[in-house]
Amino acid sequence: MNTNHKTNQLSRRDFLKLAGASGAGLILAVYLEACSSETAVPAHHSPFVWEPDIKLRVDDKGILTVIAFRSEMGQGIRTALAMLVADEMDIAWENVRIEQALADSRFGNQKTGGSQSISSYYDKMRMAGAAARQMLINAASQVWRVKADRCYTKMGHVVHPIGQKEMAYGDLVEIAAKLDVPSVVEVKEPAQFHLVGTDVGHWDTPDIITGKAIYGLDVRLPDMLYAVIARCPVFGGNFSNYDDVAAMTVSGVRQVVDLGDRIAVVAENSWAAIQGRRLLNVAWNGGKNADLSSEGLRANAVERLPKIDSAGKNELDAVYYIPYEAHATMEPMNSSAYVHDDVCEIWAPTQDPQEVQRNVSAATDIPEKNVAVHIPLIGGGFGRRLLSDYAVEAARVSQAIQAPVQVLWTRDDDLQHDAYHGMNVHYVSAPLSPLKMPSIRLSHGSGVPTAAWRSVENFDEAFATQCFIDEMAVATQRDPLDLRLELYKGRSEEVIRQAAEKADWGDPLPAGWGRGLAYHATFGVTHVAQVAEVSVDEDGNVRVHRVVCAVDCGKVVNPDNVAAQMESGIVFGLTATIKAETTIRDGRVQQSNFNDYPLLQMSEMPLVEVYIVESDERPTGIGEMGVPPIAPAVANAVFSATGKRIRHIPIRPKDLKT
Amino acid sequence: MSPIELQINGKAYNLEADEQMPLLWALRDLLGLTGTKFGCGAGLCGTCTVLIDGEPTRSCVTPLSAVVGKSIMTIEGLSEDGGHPLQIAWSEERVTQCGYCQPGQILNAVALLENNPNPSDTDIDEAMANVLCRCGTYQRIRKAIHRVAQQA
Repeated sequence: MNTNHKTNQLSRRDFLKLAGASGAGLILAVYLEACSSETAVPAHHSPFVWEPDIKLRVDDKGILTVIAFRSEMGQGIRTALAMLVADEMDIAWENVRIEQALADSRFGNQKTGGSQSISSYYDKMRMAGAAARQMLINAASQVWRVKADRCYTKMGHVVHPIGQKEMAYGDLVEIAAKLDVPSVVEVKEPAQFHLVGTDVGHWDTPDIITGKAIYGLDVRLPDMLYAVIARCPVFGGNFSNYDDVAAMTVSGVRQVVDLGDRIAVVAENSWAAIQGRRLLNVAWNGGKNADLSSEGLRANAVERLPKIDSAGKNELDAVYYIPYEAHATMEPMNSSAYVHDDVCEIWAPTQDPQEVQRNVSAATDIPEKNVAVHIPLIGGGFGRRLLSDYAVEAARVSQAIQAPVQVLWTRDDDLQHDAYHGMNVHYVSAPLSPLKMPSIRLSHGSGVPTAAWRSVENFDEAFATQCFIDEMAVATQRDPLDLRLELYKGRSEEVIRQAAEKADWGDPLPAGWGRGLAYHATFGVTHVAQVAEVSVDEDGNVRVHRVVCAVDCGKVVNPDNVAAQMESGIVFGLTATIKAETTIRDGRVQQSNFNDYPLLQMSEMPLVEVYIVESDERPTGIGEMGVPPIAPAVANAVFSATGKRIRHIPIRPKDLKT
Repeated sequence: MSPIELQINGKAYNLEADEQMPLLWALRDLLGLTGTKFGCGAGLCGTCTVLIDGEPTRSCVTPLSAVVGKSIMTIEGLSEDGGHPLQIAWSEERVTQCGYCQPGQILNAVALLENNPNPSDTDIDEAMANVLCRCGTYQRIRKAIHRVAQQA
């Protein structure tokens, strides 16, 4: 049962059981040895549970538990992985449970990134389910003394060849557990699916809407303390000295811990820790990055752009600029850890638990096998949680104070100590005759930490390429749609055509309105075209009214979730396109909260329509693919509305004021 | 530190706390009611919304001293088992993604429908504008609110 979601309000005894129930046998052994006075864990009278594969279990009630070995952060992966297994097993959705795996190399690489979980595991999950189903059939055929290939399955039951008789899976698991796993299995044909391609919702929804879902920040360990950390505001800097006299006067502050490169204020509750840090008096030494500024970084990047001499050639060229962007997940970074006796138990809302395991081990000198990484539900990831800095901090603080601790990042910590989407400048050029795809050269800013940000370089590539194709269309007096249909063929062409058609491309719009089209295949695999409909008022404010999106991601597992991820990607991209950017001055990030890093809000939400191309091609991915086309679609729509070409984001009213 | 009595979800809770402590942290760290989430600490994102005497209130900037003697409702108190019409609509409209902001969204919507049983899109935009969702579930939230309004 959903172990990681039930970590709230653990008793010390539950804590022990949790460590055991989560499959970390060795960790449990070490922990028990260390706590010999508390080893009297009551015998666990669990029902019979069959585990044909590390990814799934079936109990004697016929309940299937799928072990999610990828992280859930809203993209719906836990649900989709479970659908694939349950479908092959012929198990009804209401009899499916999901449990989150710990970091465990038996699962292979557990990194949830690059929108690859479904494309990598579509076959493997189905084969695991099909093998389990075959073993249940084999078990029933033994009981009935009939040939297995004459039995079949029907929603949680194996059916006898003569019909009439059937046996529930729950009554077969003890026998199935003694059988060999078949070496060859047959998976279903798409026409036989009962779950894949249907709308089952998100498995996590009931817990979310009742407040029962346990995110990283909701983890509560027995006798847990709370810590907030002071970090040098300049990237790569450190403190010279600090004075904690005032901080220690805050009621509830227990301890101020010098971690060498940062300072932790440890308290009995989050509020006391926050207050304590506010009163900490620190002298910072910014070091070599103390003079960094966005303007300087940008000028540098432009200077380093490879020079192109297009004089005298029939060529078009342009330079596009993208700033730093923060991930700004709604749940700020955090982790809870308990280091004791050469063991670290950590609850990290992470996209890469094995990276957490490695880096916690390196930072604490605790062997990797003694680091148990639990993954609670994640309040937004977008690539930020592929890093492990927040988890390493929690382990270091716990090791220093020898107590369970939760490290909480406040919103300013989160926006100012991110690893950002990188600033970059693109130089794009193309011959105007004969017309062909533009070529791109780029250069980046440097000195500011950067990392994967939902769709990574695809965001920039799409912006530069798709805006430029519109410039090519204007230069050659063509319709932007027609030009794209010349440049793109096959699946690309199909989504472009479909988006344009559903968006009424070419139909008249009111004065001051415009339509813009963009297409991108993120990571080269999922084809997405979007048409944005915008208006620009006389103060230069851009309003996005409608976005029509066509997507081809191959075979679809959970269609409503594909639509949801397209909506989500569009909103994520719109924040960067018309709202927020991260800027640097004196080596520091200037934004500190949602007043100066404003996210798109409900009143700015366009009507989004998503059309999914029917396909039996191999499934690709959807988590990031909605993001890249939206910035160029909006920029191209703004040109259509105003005649003003946009070559940078975010689009500011001052760029468009009449 | 002083003894404080709070009325939360129809139950009396006694705690010892600094009365300047924001309600959010008392709920989460002292009382174990973690359904109310921390997002910004400055009343800017709405994730921490609770209802105080029915009014949507940002618990991250509301000191305990301001809520003594008032009726506090958190997401845990909205229904026994997720059966409030808005919770059902949230489920049927497939609203949730990461879900972190949703308790705040739902409680803001409860207050909206209390004051305006049949809101227009503009009414919804106004009432919900300051509750942020990075996953972009706004369109589905609108639909879920309309769904409940139509049932009334």
